[in-house]
Amino acid sequence: MLALDVKNLTKAYGGNTVLAGVDISQAAGEVLCVLGPNGAGKTTLILTLLGLVKADSGDIRLFGNQQQGITRSQALRQQLGVMMQIGSLSANLSVYEQCDLFSSYYAQGYSAAELVQLAGLESHATQRFGRLSGGQKQRLLFALALAGKPKLLFLDEPTLGMDVEARQALWHQVKQLRQQGVAVVLTTHYLEEAEQLADSIAVLHQGRMVAKGSPDELKALMQYKVVRCRSRLTDAELAVLPAVLQVSREQQQITLHSRNAEQTVRALLHADQQATDLEVRPIALEQAFLHLTQTPETQQEQAA
Amino acid sequence: MNTAAIYRKEAWYDLLSILRTPAFVIPSLAFPVVFYVFFGVLFNSGGASAYMLVTYGCFGIMGPAMFNFAINIASDRAHGWLTLKRLSPMPVPAYLLAKFATALVFSLAIIVLMFSIAALFGGVRFAFGQWLLLAVVLLLGTLPFALIGLILGLTLSDKAAPAVVNLVYLPMALLSGLWLPIHMLPTLLQQAGWIWPSYHLSQIGLKVIGMDQGHALSIHLLLLTSSSILLAMVAVWSFKHLTGENA
Repeated sequence: MLALDVKNLTKAYGGNTVLAGVDISQAAGEVLCVLGPNGAGKTTLILTLLGLVKADSGDIRLFGNQQQGITRSQALRQQLGVMMQIGSLSANLSVYEQCDLFSSYYAQGYSAAELVQLAGLESHATQRFGRLSGGQKQRLLFALALAGKPKLLFLDEPTLGMDVEARQALWHQVKQLRQQGVAVVLTTHYLEEAEQLADSIAVLHQGRMVAKGSPDELKALMQYKVVRCRSRLTDAELAVLPAVLQVSREQQQITLHSRNAEQTVRALLHADQQATDLEVRPIALEQAFLHLTQTPETQQEQAA
Repeated sequence: MNTAAIYRKEAWYDLLSILRTPAFVIPSLAFPVVFYVFFGVLFNSGGASAYMLVTYGCFGIMGPAMFNFAINIASDRAHGWLTLKRLSPMPVPAYLLAKFATALVFSLAIIVLMFSIAALFGGVRFAFGQWLLLAVVLLLGTLPFALIGLILGLTLSDKAAPAVVNLVYLPMALLSGLWLPIHMLPTLLQQAGWIWPSYHLSQIGLKVIGMDQGHALSIHLLLLTSSSILLAMVAVWSFKHLTGENA
């Protein structure tokens, strides 16, 4: 049974599409990273999956149970863990007290002391939430998400505001959870995070899952470049240059998407020695992903 | 999971969190007590100490009930804390009863403070049964105001909540005759007093010491109970219709 099974989820706010037909199918022990720039709809997606935002249409199943809003059985609640981007817990309660309270909700969860340890805040156990640093707050929220030893864990931008060490510690914990068979849905706008953790990466762009792929596919995509120049070559001539994926033109200004910039540029300069204003830069990730799904050529290459 | 433990811990930590906020505790207790000392004890003119003990007692218990609910729930919503709890297996009644228990603790503190001042400095003399009954009336009377606070907390932003609570609290107190005796208000306002739960609560309290306006107890009880039920229904509706990030 899938831990999370989502079909054709849509959501619009006043004519503004936030989710446009999102599908997810995720088994136990898989980490799904939802990657996308701010405003891509990542948080709305998590809120909708949890039933806090009502979807316009679509079907959400957690462990096979169809979801309607936030109403769900106690048994199911016991299996979920959630870390949201939230401002504050009760500012006047200490780290230990928050853990004590949260651990009391779960039948077979961690004890308060274990949660403090999971958060790595043993030396701050008596400190009030309001006096923790941003990264420490995130670590506590992460630990609280684990309070019930969940089978399905939602992490919305978990490493936001964390320093490098804390981030790596959290990555390590997520990897361990994965080994224990926990399904993890994690949103991030850090490419490196997705690359480190994900079994599959879904890129959310303007409410649409523009692509899904493995981190290895993602790495290949990172080699993609945008080549800009001015040249007398026609579009047809440009399109047959090696490694070119796409040609577009705005008056004299030509933009090429290339799988291998060195090859493309070498051939370009060979074909047109008067080409000027040459510029090579990395491709935007969403665009790279679009090529992954859209061009048959790249798909063949990946299958090979 | 031990359900009793959840209820106990929710209540304890809610109270603890409030007690660590002196900016809430001190005004909540001092405001009604200072008013009572000033108008009921220092400027006491024959019998007013007893009458005002009841009306300022009502005024006193209303404040923390409405503020604790409205401001803390609005703030828990704004910060996402309530969202996390609602997604967890925490039973919702545990959260609400915890806040109500905190309001009761404040009511009890105000009752003890004001009764002591009345007996020691205001020359108020009641039979033991009257003291006890009055305390029970005020404690039970905390409920409708807690419900008003709950509704405000569920519907307002954390920034708007304090201002709106004051906007409800202070006029309601004045128009129910909690500051000035109701019979000193213009006739129209006296009649309008009937719509406020605080008017009925104060009349029930005044009945205990034989200083009410003489309407039947059953009418006051009926109106206070039915308005509480209505408020509870609105609160449940508001809770079910929380949506979005601040749910």
